[in-house]
Amino acid sequence: MTPLLEVRGATKAFPGVKALDGVNLTLRAGEIHALVGENGAGKSSLIKLLTGVLRQDEGEIRLNGEPVKFNSPHESLAAGIAVVHQERNLIPRYSIAENMFLDRLPVRNGLVQHAQMRREAQPWLDLLDLHINPGTPVRYLSVAQMQLVEIGRALSLDSKILLLDEPTASISEHEVERLLTILRRLRDQGKAILFVSHKLEELTQLCDRITVLRDGKNACDDRPLKGMTKADIVTLMVGRESAVTDLGERTAKLGEIRLALRDLATGAGHKGINLDVRAGEVVGLYGLVGAGRSELAKSIIGAYPVLSGRIEMEGRPARIRAPLDALRDWHIGYVSEDRKGEGLILTQSVARNTAITVWHRIAKRLGFLWGGIEKAAILPFVERLNVKTPSLDQAVGNLSGGNQQKVSVAKWLAADARILIIDEPTVGVDVRTKGYLHRLIWKLAEDGAAILLISSELSEMVQLADRIYVMNDYRIITEMPNSRQYDEMSDRLMTAIHRDNDARTQSAAAE
Amino acid sequence: MLHVAESGATTPAASWFSGARLWRLANAGGLLILIIALIAGIGIFIPSFLSPFNLFALTRNLAVDIIIGFSMMTVLGLGHMNLAVGAIGACAAMVTGFALERVGLPIPLAIIVALLTGMVLGAINGILIVRTGLHSFVITLATASLYFGLMFILTKAEAFRNLPVDFSGLAKGRIGSFSNFLFVALALAIGLVALFNYSQLGRQMLATGANSVAAGLSGVPVNRIVVITHALSGLLAAIAGVLVTARLASALPSIGEDWLLPSFLAPLLGGTLLAGGYVSVVGAVLGAILLSVLQNGLILMNVSGFWIQFFLGLALLAAVGIDRWRSVTAERRGMVSR
Repeated sequence: MTPLLEVRGATKAFPGVKALDGVNLTLRAGEIHALVGENGAGKSSLIKLLTGVLRQDEGEIRLNGEPVKFNSPHESLAAGIAVVHQERNLIPRYSIAENMFLDRLPVRNGLVQHAQMRREAQPWLDLLDLHINPGTPVRYLSVAQMQLVEIGRALSLDSKILLLDEPTASISEHEVERLLTILRRLRDQGKAILFVSHKLEELTQLCDRITVLRDGKNACDDRPLKGMTKADIVTLMVGRESAVTDLGERTAKLGEIRLALRDLATGAGHKGINLDVRAGEVVGLYGLVGAGRSELAKSIIGAYPVLSGRIEMEGRPARIRAPLDALRDWHIGYVSEDRKGEGLILTQSVARNTAITVWHRIAKRLGFLWGGIEKAAILPFVERLNVKTPSLDQAVGNLSGGNQQKVSVAKWLAADARILIIDEPTVGVDVRTKGYLHRLIWKLAEDGAAILLISSELSEMVQLADRIYVMNDYRIITEMPNSRQYDEMSDRLMTAIHRDNDARTQSAAAE
Repeated sequence: MLHVAESGATTPAASWFSGARLWRLANAGGLLILIIALIAGIGIFIPSFLSPFNLFALTRNLAVDIIIGFSMMTVLGLGHMNLAVGAIGACAAMVTGFALERVGLPIPLAIIVALLTGMVLGAINGILIVRTGLHSFVITLATASLYFGLMFILTKAEAFRNLPVDFSGLAKGRIGSFSNFLFVALALAIGLVALFNYSQLGRQMLATGANSVAAGLSGVPVNRIVVITHALSGLLAAIAGVLVTARLASALPSIGEDWLLPSFLAPLLGGTLLAGGYVSVVGAVLGAILLSVLQNGLILMNVSGFWIQFFLGLALLAAVGIDRWRSVTAERRGMVSR
């Protein structure tokens, strides 16, 4: 039988990075296909090809054996490929039915036929076991229910192919079960489903076949999942050689406790946070998306208020009301995970982006920065980090992701940060720069900085951290030394989080 | 990974030469050529345009246009607006009149009090914006009405017409054919160039305008910067108000009523971005010159005031059209986040 959808040898290059390099993918009717890979492996690029957002440089997409070209998301949708993104794409104030039929509202005499629309929406909701009045505004639904509405919309378009991008990332255990049941039913009705997820447990339960991407290439192509263990998949994802990279041995020379959080409660919602970071130490803060890690970082630098408890710096209570206090009085730096939104000012130059943290220190009389003192102050750091830029006047937005990330680190080195909070240091960064940044983090620690590392990438965490705190639901649930053994740590971290989630579900049920 | 594709359309080296900086030069150069052509054209057809009398009157009005343009430009750098430019100018004018005529303060002191009033009113705008988190458009729309209203109530809408001769004499000074006022405006221009290009405060203003979240997390005291910038805008509006009072030799409550359009036109024609993060001081001066020359030429040609309004409106549309085009091209280069 011809596969419903095939990708053959798809290659997509961005300047400096090959996002996809000869990638194959095969989806068949009546099958659920898993697509996995680490961040930056090329999953989103592949989905963008299938949905007409990007076009491949080489290779082809075949639908029912026929080569097709999608010039826009609209064309891909018309060909029966529907995608449910990780982020919700619904209009909160519109009803379920309105959201489902937004692009083809039933209209008579210029008036929307609400009753007819609700009638037409009903069967799809029934199919998904979503027993809610289709007239209900979407904002009253839970995240999981919204997701089902989006799947309903996809089905109502008569889509044969359903792409689900991390559908279980933000819904509870119980809701996941329901979703999986529904997906199995859809499969049995002959849909082809592509399921992208980081949660291997679900994959092995649900999927029939698997494609793994690593660094833009197929690590495995259309292999039956039967008989594969989770460890097999992880090995394919990270590759044995890269799971234990050439970072070498690290001998941590630990100094005094530099940053201590004592029973901290914050305006962002954290409760009872206790945490220490020593000079020379790389401390990991691990947790799933939404656990409150970045928010804790921002609370430390004063972007969220401290409600109770203390922040101590080198044993002294620190009063930090704004990021300026953290920078000027305590030398705390925060490299944001959201480089473009929070970390850098893309339209401004490398010089200004790096010097922003030192202006107050280097300014001459009346706050003037004459005669190149700005560039002189930051040049050593730009050079030390090997930032590739034609000039210091270049707008940061014109640099590659890796070089942008170097600039966002450089500005905190220029500020002489004694504590560096690094949030997702290698998101959207090419492999070479990634290795460079990893070595840099260790080097900074060796030079005596205290480093708090936040990363969702487990392998990165296991590689770099000396000690790991696990965060869930804005609390620290446990702390463990890092054995630097991926499988062991992965198991322990996941078990800790799952156990905490189960305990929460039970206590919620008890109430 | 998409940003790589967006930003990498040109190589970094090429975009440095073909990009933003060249465009800005071309923009200023284009304005300059337009101005020269306009002056030459009007000068040929209407010889009285270049007469010392007309040049004096032209530059005296031009100076005010430049300064109210600066007043708007400073807040545009934040990505904000100040619809109270005219109201603050009027308040400063009336305070000058009151201080000179009723209180009998010496001229320098009266001017200082008026300028402080402008700064305080501007700072109030800034504080309200920071405290409420509302858009500057809404806040300054409200305070414009508030300031005008308060000023009318306090002065009972009566003008101060018996100002000291020395004060109105300020408006008669000239260097060559040019009004003294022009040199006040140029001095302010130099100050603003220094502020935006060479000072910590100016960099912090533009950083806040380009991305206030990133600026804040990098230790820029964003709220303080907003208040200071609005105070500066108020100060500039007050300077314009004082100059107009001297020119009219009286403080009228109607001063500032027609400032809104030119205040936007000068900076926007000059390349200052509505979205914030970039200002062009030289551009604002050129923009104001273009406006004043155009206006003056049309008056000399006996074109009716309604047509002048029409042409100014057209010029604003052209300016914001160019602004929009600029931000779209900036987006294509991947320089604008979300």
